Amino acid sequence: MNRFCFPGWIDRLLPWSAAIATALAVYVTGVVIVGAAPSTLDVGYKPEQPLPFSHALHAGKLKMDCRFCHNTVDRAAFAAVPTTATCGKCHSGADMSGVTATTSVHANSPKLLAVRESLATGNFIGWKKVHDLPDYAYFNHSAHVARGVSCVSCHGRIDQMDEVKQVKELSMAWCLECHRHPEPHLRPKELVTQLDWVAPESPEVLGAKLREALKIQPAENCSTCHR
Amino acid sequence: MSSVTSTSAAARAYWRSLDQLQQTPEFTEFLHREFPVAASEFPQGFSRRRWLQLMGASFALTGAAGCRWQSDTLASLPVRPANRVPGVPQTFATSWELGGYARPIVVTSYDGRPIKVEGNREHPDSLGATDALSQAMILHLYDPDRSTAILQQTEQPAVERSWDEFAAELEPVLAAVKASGGAGLRVLTETSSSPTRSRLQTRIASEFPQAKWVEHNAIPVRNAIAGAELAFGRALRPHLDLTAADIIVTFDDDFFGHHPAGVRLAREWADGRVPEAGPMKRLYAVESQFSLVGGVADHRLPMKSSDIPRFLDALEELVDKGLAGAPIEESHDDSYGLKFLATVAADLLAHRGKSVVSVGETQAPAVHARAYRLNSKLGNIGATLSFLPVPDPSPIAAELSTLVEELQAGKVELLLVLGGNPVYTAPAGIELAAAIRQAKWSVRLSNYVDETSLACQWHLPAAHPLECWGDGISESGRLTLQQPLIAPLFGGKSDIELLAWVLGDVDATSQSLVRQTATTLLPADRFDKEWRKLIHDGFWGKPAATLSPTLRADLNLPAATPAPTDLELVLTPSPSTYDGRFANNGWLQETPQPLSKLTWDNAALIAPATADELGLKTGSLAALHVAGQTVELPVYVLPGQAPGSIGVALGYGRTAAGHVGGLLSDGIAAVGVNVYGLRTGAETVLTKATLKGTGRQYPLSTTQDHHAIDTVGMTEIAGRIGELVREGSLGEYEAHPDFAQHKVHHPPLESLWKEPSSDGRAWGMSIDLSRCIGCNSCMVACQSENNVPVVGKEQIARGREMHWIRIDRYFKGDVNQPEIVTQPVACHHCENAPCEQVCPVAATVHSPEGLNDMAYNRCVGTRYCANNCPYKVRRFNFFDYNAKYEAANTELSRMLMNPEVTVRERGVMEKCTYCVQRIQNVKIGAKNEQRAVRDGEVVTACQQACPANAIVFGDLNDKSSRVAALHAGPRSYAMLAELNVQPRTKYLARIRNPHPWLATAAEVHGHEEAHG
Amino acid sequence: MSTITAPYDNTIETPGRRAPLVLGGHDYTSVTKVVCEIAETPQPPLAWFVAFGISSSMTLMFLGFAGYLVTTGIGVWGNNSPVFWAWDIVNFVFWVGIGHAGTLISAILFLFRQNWRTSINRAAEAMTVFAVVCAGLFPTLHVGRIWVIYWLLPLPNQNAIWPNFRSPLLWDVFAVSTYATVSTLFWYMGMIPDLATFRDRATNKFKQFVYGVLALGWTGSARQWYRFERAYLLLAALATPLVLSVHTIVSFDFATSQVPGWHTTIFPPYFVAGAVFSGFGMVLTLMVPGRELFGLKDLITPRHLENVCKVLLATGTMVGYAYAMEFFVAWYSGSRYEQFAFINRMFGPYWWAYWTMVTCNVISPQLFWFRKFRTSPWLMFTVSIFVNIGMWFERFVITVTSLHRDYLPSSWGHYAPTWVDICMFAGSFGLFFTLYLLFCRYLPVVAMAEVKGVMPRTVEH
Repeated sequence: MNRFCFPGWIDRLLPWSAAIATALAVYVTGVVIVGAAPSTLDVGYKPEQPLPFSHALHAGKLKMDCRFCHNTVDRAAFAAVPTTATCGKCHSGADMSGVTATTSVHANSPKLLAVRESLATGNFIGWKKVHDLPDYAYFNHSAHVARGVSCVSCHGRIDQMDEVKQVKELSMAWCLECHRHPEPHLRPKELVTQLDWVAPESPEVLGAKLREALKIQPAENCSTCHR
Repeated sequence: MSSVTSTSAAARAYWRSLDQLQQTPEFTEFLHREFPVAASEFPQGFSRRRWLQLMGASFALTGAAGCRWQSDTLASLPVRPANRVPGVPQTFATSWELGGYARPIVVTSYDGRPIKVEGNREHPDSLGATDALSQAMILHLYDPDRSTAILQQTEQPAVERSWDEFAAELEPVLAAVKASGGAGLRVLTETSSSPTRSRLQTRIASEFPQAKWVEHNAIPVRNAIAGAELAFGRALRPHLDLTAADIIVTFDDDFFGHHPAGVRLAREWADGRVPEAGPMKRLYAVESQFSLVGGVADHRLPMKSSDIPRFLDALEELVDKGLAGAPIEESHDDSYGLKFLATVAADLLAHRGKSVVSVGETQAPAVHARAYRLNSKLGNIGATLSFLPVPDPSPIAAELSTLVEELQAGKVELLLVLGGNPVYTAPAGIELAAAIRQAKWSVRLSNYVDETSLACQWHLPAAHPLECWGDGISESGRLTLQQPLIAPLFGGKSDIELLAWVLGDVDATSQSLVRQTATTLLPADRFDKEWRKLIHDGFWGKPAATLSPTLRADLNLPAATPAPTDLELVLTPSPSTYDGRFANNGWLQETPQPLSKLTWDNAALIAPATADELGLKTGSLAALHVAGQTVELPVYVLPGQAPGSIGVALGYGRTAAGHVGGLLSDGIAAVGVNVYGLRTGAETVLTKATLKGTGRQYPLSTTQDHHAIDTVGMTEIAGRIGELVREGSLGEYEAHPDFAQHKVHHPPLESLWKEPSSDGRAWGMSIDLSRCIGCNSCMVACQSENNVPVVGKEQIARGREMHWIRIDRYFKGDVNQPEIVTQPVACHHCENAPCEQVCPVAATVHSPEGLNDMAYNRCVGTRYCANNCPYKVRRFNFFDYNAKYEAANTELSRMLMNPEVTVRERGVMEKCTYCVQRIQNVKIGAKNEQRAVRDGEVVTACQQACPANAIVFGDLNDKSSRVAALHAGPRSYAMLAELNVQPRTKYLARIRNPHPWLATAAEVHGHEEAHG
Repeated sequence: MSTITAPYDNTIETPGRRAPLVLGGHDYTSVTKVVCEIAETPQPPLAWFVAFGISSSMTLMFLGFAGYLVTTGIGVWGNNSPVFWAWDIVNFVFWVGIGHAGTLISAILFLFRQNWRTSINRAAEAMTVFAVVCAGLFPTLHVGRIWVIYWLLPLPNQNAIWPNFRSPLLWDVFAVSTYATVSTLFWYMGMIPDLATFRDRATNKFKQFVYGVLALGWTGSARQWYRFERAYLLLAALATPLVLSVHTIVSFDFATSQVPGWHTTIFPPYFVAGAVFSGFGMVLTLMVPGRELFGLKDLITPRHLENVCKVLLATGTMVGYAYAMEFFVAWYSGSRYEQFAFINRMFGPYWWAYWTMVTCNVISPQLFWFRKFRTSPWLMFTVSIFVNIGMWFERFVITVTSLHRDYLPSSWGHYAPTWVDICMFAGSFGLFFTLYLLFCRYLPVVAMAEVKGVMPRTVEH
């Protein structure tokens, strides 16, 4: 009776096929994990802005304080995007009578057209949002700034960026990391906008002191961020 | 608060440079009010979708958005107004008018969008609370059905016109009218308390002596005044003061309902019902239909409205006897009516000057007059009941019937129909629509293209109360301001603007008009200061001095004639739609009517006895026939309804309300049945009615239906109520103040695992059932605050309503004279929460402060938590109930969304969060200032709205907090505590104050029985 | 009179003589032939085509409605507040229950050396696997946001949250998936020798190849047999606790909650008994027509059927005891809510469901005290249908009637299924039978090798 049987050499293939299968599995999982990670998806996001505003110039070279423009950051949830009037303080164009203020900087620069336009028409400049949390996550700037968490902790060295890009994950795990262990990210309140500040002593130790002093207990429950 | 003051020079210069804005009337307002660009730009060319995208960027609009692939744009204001911080809500004190009186409110505006109505803490007629209607009126501001354009309807189909085109057309007509001294000018409107409007009215009277001014109110507000005219010889309006009233006797008077002083009276009543806080008031209600007042009454006598006059006669007789010195004995008659009568008389006599007898608008002037006389005999006038002057009738005032005659006779050149909806509310026999078509020129100013608009040649979009300036007099007689929070979204005008226009004052803005009136009312010397105060506080000055007039010497009132014994029909304003003007308001349509718990319908309410006689059941469709008119409507059997009396709510059956309330032109069926056609005048009680079953059924949607329940269930319910809603008589309370805690006995409670301890803050809530009047205000407030979706009639019928807080209503005792108990129920935030334990993905977990957090975006929707919740307060999104907000044509309605609260997606569970967004904002603010949160700083939406102050919220670990004190109090009990869920919301037992003569056995030995 | 025509009635115990488990004078060859030809015949009986046509179209209907459900929302079902769980969970528990007999027969009866299991275990195991497939579908589809259902699995994630290990639903995920895996493994492994037989008898290359792969190169050498039996024994030992654990944990979904009528400690044994009961009920429902259809009367003999009936009688009575016990516990608890839950079951709006349940599950199996019912296939078939119906209603009673009236009367409600509910339930049967019919057509429906192992030597020479 001629029974159908697989040739013997198939047995030698078995270990190989097993190995390949495992390798493939590992590879696929790896790709998925890395590919779906916020560090891959979000970090480095750098949308093109309506006009080439350089933080490196204003915050870095000119040493303007962050709060000069983002002036609600220590009072409110939103670090308000500056009004065009704020830009206008230095970059106003000609007024109704056609006179340009002598103090005005680059009054006629084509790069600043959008500013002058906005000042004249009252339409806003549509800035692209770079650090964009999901709408069900409620982040409050003042709550962090008032406790000595520096801008740099989440936004990186803005003062070195011509165009702002996202440098941190801004994922939930990333938030929790700091909420569970805030010390390294704390500094004296008045120094939050000094992006180049380096802790005189170990940030851990200093942070621990500050935490003690300000009674900082970062919450980890859902309603802290989700309402 | 308000930034409606001066405007910085810089801003002015900047705005002056804009010519396109200068023409528009919005501009001037804008200039003064410094509105955010977005808001002011909204109506002009600038696409709504875009606008919302932009706003959407800066705050949470939907739970779904926000992933990297969708790029958001930040619209920063070119110039930020003073005191404006993006994303930080501002509040403005304003008001709106209903039933001829101003209702003071405070409106929260978020980045220029008004999103929430609250009470005005400083205003004596609000005391920080509101009624449900005030909470809901904001929905109309963003109603996609609002009329957006001027329509010339002489053409078919109607053509859109601009204001200029309209002006051009109107000019010659106005000229002609002026020439004839206004002979052909007729103004049809509703009664209003607005000083500005009456100022313009007087001007019209003088400039157009021939003109006529007709005021038509769907819900009469005149009987009480006419009664005063009878009794005192001059038109006055009664003004109740319950603070001094220990004994209150009402006849068909629901002064907690739509009464202009409802909110204040509820507070005064509630303050007199807390046994700890001194002597308790006692309330007797005689009424044909269960009202809020009847619901809280200690003794209630269901009686046909048409029999009430005679009952009042009898009462007066008895009181007279008593006054003459004859003592009044307890009646041992079998009839509850006679017992009741004797008791009331005795109680009134025992409390002269500290009692009040009050009669509702359903009753005729004579009845009111008799009540006034009774009050004066008891020395209540000036103490508990005083009077306020009413404005003298205008020389050009006229009746609706005369107007119709003139219209038919073609005498009318120009008819202005301002506000109201007369075509819809007109009584039988008045063919108003047809008549209006006879007018040479008819102009209609309205928020909607409604029934009346369709009959007029021109329809003008009206400005919503939150869009324009105005003024009014609140019930206590205070000047109350109405200020806009947003520029008219569709360039609508207010009635005063239109009247000014007729007077040739074309460019007058509502602001200039109101300000002008104010100059006559505020002291001239420090006008600006007082004007700012008025704008800031929302009201100005002291109440008008109250009068205590004396009876006419020659006052004799004929004895009331016995009413026919057959069925009577009582028409009442709907708790949801009032007179029909809120028919398109989804929130109100879905808010269950307090007693019947009906939604999305009106029905013929009849007593169980009547139902048996007529062989009708809840839901059977019946033909209601009265005075030659017939309508078909469903029956609802409501215990406590007076036998022989049929109660039907007005304000349904709108045919041109909108996509919610009914719009025939779009094939959308009307909600409910229109019964205005049943009455021949303004009367609300009609005798000789018949009700016949048609044999057909009609599906009614209720949020709680006890009557479909079999006997097995009913007996069980009877057994449970006492344990769930604990109440006792004053005697019982005095004997054992903590009786409520002994109503249920259970073994010591032990938990399976370590119980969460909260040593920081411990949020908790206390709800005083002794105060709650079951008015639904909290429900609507919560809906507005928390973006709770409207699900519609079919879903309600399936038991899928989404309300985060509901008011449970149970009937007790004899089915013909039941007592009711109401109990607001929201998430109890159990410390040992059953829902948390069973959620497989930890979407609902406990916060250290004891909140039962619900993370919508973690929820996968197994619904296990809801099964395991003993209070059944969890709500599931069975469908995408918010889809309507994504629909392309309705971004407008999205503007209403509270950005502080995530909008929930299909398939997730949701529930009350104790307004966690408010808690968080207060906490963060306090922490930034390095201080502790103060008691009373966090106010939940329901607490804020509650007129009776029944809800108190705060930190239980702060022993000095109000809520901690209440929880520790003897009346405090936890519902279903035997489950060891340890709820953070506790109730304060309800205390009734029955008169010994009428007290039931249970009320006398309640406590012993409880121990049984 | 019984419709079986056998040489003699092997349901009678004759002392000192073991009743044969194979009738009709079969020898090894003929057994092989009988079983293999079911799959080899080019033209299965017409009934098969009819059945397959119906069930496969019902499967399509199921898939269609599932799509509608996922795209539109759970609202297309009748579920509401307070009845948040309805037919979705009822069907889940129903199918899981049916999925019990298979492993019980193969594992437990194997360990107890119950030889009669051999000719029915294969089909029973197949039934188990397919029932579990149907069972798995319902809880999966019933979640509000199926697109994130993977959150129930403890996977590392960028939100740094784990599932809630306190939740019985999570235990369910583990229990059911484990059970599914082991049952499938058990089923497949047992099939290997028979698959080899199929391979060897296969006439065309394609079949040879497919069966060849499935047979994993089985040659039937003594060593292979030795290893096979060892492994089989181990798996059996492994599967045995699962039989008890799965439905125990399913019962926790109810028992650990505090809904009156759910919150009771007798649920685990009660559910397991019920599951075995319903499982064996379904075995009968499938075997009786099956042996007719495929001419397996000699292998699946009256004795087999009678044994199944006896199991039904036993478990049915246990279930009845559990029903009685529930009431005692409710009364004894002294909790008004518990007590009402049960009064409401008997006399409330869903009384008909309750009494259907009692009649079908407690009364109808008592018929098996009569030999007549144990020996005449069509009678027992009828009873088995009642058992299936009854066990579905048991789950309906537990789930819906408990939920529709719990603590606060204000939130009492009523549940009525929609067309989608009904069609999806019907559709799940379609799926079940589609799979089962395919199994009958292409795989060995009887464990030939094992049957041969229990055939009396006497039949040869």
